[in-house]
Amino acid sequence: MSEEEAEKMLLELKEKAELMVDLAYSSLIYDNREIAEEVYELEDYVDKINDELQKLAIEDTRKGELDVNEVLAIIQLGISSEVIADAAREIADVQLRDVKLHPILKESLMESNEILLKVKITPKSILKDKKIGEIRLASETGMWIIAIKRGNKWIYDPTKNITLRENDILFAKGDKEGKDHFIALAEGREKKI
Amino acid sequence: MYLNTNKDKKIGMKNKLLGKLMPKWKKVEFEEIEYEPKSIKEILIEMKNISELMVDLAYSALLFNNKELAEEVKYLEVRMDTLNYDIRLIALLAARTKEDAEELTGILQVAEAAETISNAAADITKLLSVRLTHPILPGLIKKSDETIKKLTIKEGSVAHNKTIKDLRIASETGVRVLTIRRKDRWIYAPKKDELLKAGDILIGIGPEEGLARLNKLFEGKIKVL
Repeated sequence: MSEEEAEKMLLELKEKAELMVDLAYSSLIYDNREIAEEVYELEDYVDKINDELQKLAIEDTRKGELDVNEVLAIIQLGISSEVIADAAREIADVQLRDVKLHPILKESLMESNEILLKVKITPKSILKDKKIGEIRLASETGMWIIAIKRGNKWIYDPTKNITLRENDILFAKGDKEGKDHFIALAEGREKKI
Repeated sequence: MYLNTNKDKKIGMKNKLLGKLMPKWKKVEFEEIEYEPKSIKEILIEMKNISELMVDLAYSALLFNNKELAEEVKYLEVRMDTLNYDIRLIALLAARTKEDAEELTGILQVAEAAETISNAAADITKLLSVRLTHPILPGLIKKSDETIKKLTIKEGSVAHNKTIKDLRIASETGVRVLTIRRKDRWIYAPKKDELLKAGDILIGIGPEEGLARLNKLFEGKIKVL
């Protein structure tokens, strides 16, 4: 395993673990089982990548290709992401249990710094028929899309090449301050990104 | 949002004894945890904020090999422990029926998860003590032109008693203030009209040049950005 490969795997673990946390919180805010179930599936995926990473790292040490300290750091970073992924699953578990959610839970999650929101793209919205990469949504509004619900289908962690469509329901995350602007864009009340 | 850490007086003596022997975050750890009436909501909001901040800071500390940021992570971890204790206490006091208890369990589970995340973040900072042949994983932070820095406002800086807006920090330097620590309390994602004080410790993220300029202002070396 080259360093680049290790870095790629670690980055994948980090991003997926953080996506899971966002999705798990979203599942509570919007009382949504499907999102919570996706968190469970992602957990399996993270486990697999982490196992793979550890195996490769250890093999490379044996072959003398990687320094022991470096391998330790790689393994520790992988474990940290894995722990975060587990925590996300615990959060999603609250949604999947058959107990009514405490209203305070939702309120708290909605009032923290990094907020999560849900908005539908209207026919008038300028986001319609645009690629996520093309409109530079994240850098302009400070909000990024973590999932899209299109009809009955879900697109989690959409790439830059995904084209947004009318009636897409966007789940996004970001800074409190970008929220209103983002919603106005999706609902077609604001035309300038 | 303001939240005080233990404002208890008994710890004064203990802190004097522990005095200069240990870093500040460690002193906090030795404070006795006292029950402080606060709402579950306030605590949970702070726990979520801290866990997210800690993950960002931990990766930044590792990436920039920055011990100060790592220390801030430890400080926040101690705060997190206190909050997790408080929320359990309040939840237990609040439950009157089985239904109450069931609903509150969900809250505690989320709180516990936030604590777990913060522990994972703290573990990441331990890697700073591992000697590496070269900086590890520069790709782990997406915006590579941005860096993160801890800045202290010195006595005599023009920033004292000015707001973030007055100083035009964002527009002049491109720096975003993630958090302000004022003595023992944190202000997360401070608003633009937040009044800055000498002694405040800010964590800013932005272009290196902008951070350096801001630091000069805080050190009193320049009067305007």
